[in-house]
Amino acid sequence: MKTDYDVIVVGAGPGGSFAAKAAAKGGASVLLIDRRKELGAPVRCGEGLGSHWLEELGLKISPKAISAEISGSVLYSPNLKREVKIQNQETKGYVIDRKVFDKDLAIDAGREGAEVIVKTEVYDVMKEGGKVCGVKAYRMGDKFEATCKVLIAADGGESTVARHAGINSTASLYDTDFGVEYEMVNVECEDLIEIYFSRSAAPRGYVWVFPKGKDVANVGVGIGGLEKGNAIEYLDKFIKSHERFKTAQTVAVKGGLIPVGEPLKDLVADGLMIVGTAAHQVDPIHGGGMALAMEAGGMAGEVAAKCIQEGNVGKQHLIEYDRKWRKKVEPKLMRRLRLRKVLEKLDDDDFNSIFENLSDVDLDSLIKGDYKQVVKKVLVKRPQLLKVLSALL
Amino acid sequence: MIKINRSRCIYCGACVGVCPVLALTLKETYVEYDKEKCINCGNCAKACPMKAIDFEK
Ligand SMILES: Cc1cc2nc3c(=O)[nH]c(=O)nc-3n(C[C@H](O)[C@H](O)[C@H](O)COP(=O)(O)OP(=O)(O)OC[C@H]3O[C@@H](n4cnc5c(N)ncnc54)[C@H](O)[C@@H]3O)c2cc1C
Repeated sequence: MKTDYDVIVVGAGPGGSFAAKAAAKGGASVLLIDRRKELGAPVRCGEGLGSHWLEELGLKISPKAISAEISGSVLYSPNLKREVKIQNQETKGYVIDRKVFDKDLAIDAGREGAEVIVKTEVYDVMKEGGKVCGVKAYRMGDKFEATCKVLIAADGGESTVARHAGINSTASLYDTDFGVEYEMVNVECEDLIEIYFSRSAAPRGYVWVFPKGKDVANVGVGIGGLEKGNAIEYLDKFIKSHERFKTAQTVAVKGGLIPVGEPLKDLVADGLMIVGTAAHQVDPIHGGGMALAMEAGGMAGEVAAKCIQEGNVGKQHLIEYDRKWRKKVEPKLMRRLRLRKVLEKLDDDDFNSIFENLSDVDLDSLIKGDYKQVVKKVLVKRPQLLKVLSALL
Repeated sequence: MIKINRSRCIYCGACVGVCPVLALTLKETYVEYDKEKCINCGNCAKACPMKAIDFEK
């Protein structure tokens, strides 16, 4: 096997496979590495994906990768007295099967010319004169080393590759949610993604029911890392306390970490690019990160190939990816982070009052990042929130 | 010191992501613990969505 490549991508999740494909398309020789023996498994995801992304990313989803089509989402107030349905282009989508989806994306990368190896764990990064230049791995139990001009770290929540390269990408408890979910049968559902806000049921996070069929769903909880207890305790409590799950049977357990703070300060270094969850590129409100990982991966792969062609892979050249991403994606994420910081300060009474007093249209504007009118309306009923909500004005 | 309950762990890697000193390694179907590197911060036990890690100071 070859041991020198233009680009090595570590992690064949959505971010890594997109990066590998884009780099190969740009003319680079690419090696895509994953630790798993079966890409996509074990799943660590609610598997919800907005359909607007298909066009934005030029993504095709094979029918086999789709578990259920979703017409929108429904948000519940903590006291469950009010539900708000939002059905529009933004909330339409799919609950997919990551075991099929992730593998499909790696297949795409392979078809584009990337070499793909699985059951290969990268345990260290090689450097020469401060520049990242390769990886050390165990490949099916044997030591394996390969060199590259550009290393793309797309290794998800563990984010060890960037750290071996000297970039601190450790997830902090404060800025990370920890989630766990059961895939369950005998859970009646509509074609709607269900979100339950409640400080007591899911402090600094939320409870979700993502349908994978008429009577099958991913039922999960994410909580802030500094909150009391562990996610599984909240999930078991939620399921026990709802009649609806009385006959539900669990057919899978999935979980993982979800960065919900700021993205990494540095997305590139000499010879290194970081994409997806490894770079904390996740939506701070709903914790979705598949699409953002693919978007960033595509950008990184393209820039990597271009820089290699031009013969310069120093930080000052790879930074084009960082700049592109911060221009196109970061402002939206930061607006949503601002909203998150405010939501975190509200208690269940605040949430109940907000749900009672807002129309569906108001909540839709909130989600879209249009805060001003809505905040005014809330303050009329709940002036004590002035200080908290003024952060949104 | 931590103790990982291997038959409870779903090897999601959350503990690895929050370990500031890379004392934990995800080995696909289990997590390897390097006692020598561990600084006893307890982050992993706090993070574990499955409550599969016991932490003793
Ligand atoms: C409970 C939960 C629910 C979620 N729900 C949703 C949702 O509904 N919708 C959504 O869009 N997002 C959701 N997310 C987030 C989403 O799962 C991630 O943002 C997404 O998977 C990020 O893709 P990625 O390519 O960056 O990383 P990953 O998909 O995590 O892929 C990383 C890959 O790198 C490999 N790898 C890691 N380390 C190494 C190594 N050292 N050597 C070799 N290979 C390595 C892994 O095996 C893995 O295949 C959820 C996350 C969690 C935890």
